[in-house]
Amino acid sequence: MSSFSRSAQQWATFARSWFLIDARMQPPGKIATMCSVRLQGKHKPIYHALSDCGDHVVVINTKHIAFSGNKWEQKVYSSHTGFPGGFKQVTAAQLHLKDPKAIVRLAVYGMLPRNLHRRTMMQRLHIFPEDELPDDIRANLTEELPQPREIPRKLSEYTQEEIDAFPRLWIPPEDYKMK
Amino acid sequence: MVFLTLSCWIRNRGPDRFWKVQELLKHARHFRGRKNRCYKLAVLAVRRAFVYATKSRKLKKRNMRTLWITRIAAATREHNMKYPILMHNLNKCSVQLNRRVISDIAITEPRTFLSLAKLARARQQEGFRAALGDGKEPSGVLSRVMLQ
Repeated sequence: MSSFSRSAQQWATFARSWFLIDARMQPPGKIATMCSVRLQGKHKPIYHALSDCGDHVVVINTKHIAFSGNKWEQKVYSSHTGFPGGFKQVTAAQLHLKDPKAIVRLAVYGMLPRNLHRRTMMQRLHIFPEDELPDDIRANLTEELPQPREIPRKLSEYTQEEIDAFPRLWIPPEDYKMK
Repeated sequence: MVFLTLSCWIRNRGPDRFWKVQELLKHARHFRGRKNRCYKLAVLAVRRAFVYATKSRKLKKRNMRTLWITRIAAATREHNMKYPILMHNLNKCSVQLNRRVISDIAITEPRTFLSLAKLARARQQEGFRAALGDGKEPSGVLSRVMLQ
């Protein structure tokens, strides 16, 4: 690596970009992996753990996050206040009602490497429960990332022609009672 | 009374203790605390430092390789591909570039790296066609997959 030519020096290589992710109807785990990759700088070919090459990530609409399966009732977030008898366990649904930003924040925190850089990387993560962003953050945004999950359309969002064009899989007999 | 044997009791142990001590302390000058000045503490610290240095010669090779792999994976994901696909297909094309060279290419020669990624992608598609297709090549294309 000792023969870099001066002619191709790109001055913005180590610049810090600001990414925007819309978390509406997305699984928080997938959002968190995308965030953690960009906060560490692992999406750049110039990555090194010591060279502080992470970027800022702004996550919006975290109030409309969508867990798959029964995780809203089954996933448990535990914590301890430090006092005796202070072991608290809350389900994901209760935690989300109390603080809509907590689920994404805890997910990203758990996916970052367990070293002293983790707190600085969490400082560079900006989470907003709704669409509103402060103007200074909105001015800094450079790129929006595509959503990891394709949102399926509701039945009411299909046009009548598409519903009619769908092939009939099964014709009920005449004396069949529909519920 | 004259002590005549007094001069026989004086021993000259050796003229160059100072330089032997300095030879060891020069390896400890950048340490923290009294280890960089006092010989007894410096001996232990320098021995430990040398042991770490010998063990790390093997670790350095491992760490450098993981760093190259991380960098290549980041660069391939910029081109909508994954690291194992790239390496496997470059291997199948008998491109014998090692990870150090490919990571340097990814940093300083982005267009060359793009061409490597496209080569791997094309070889992957050829492999799929060979596995799923009917054993015949598409017309006008001569590839080594079928000839092998």
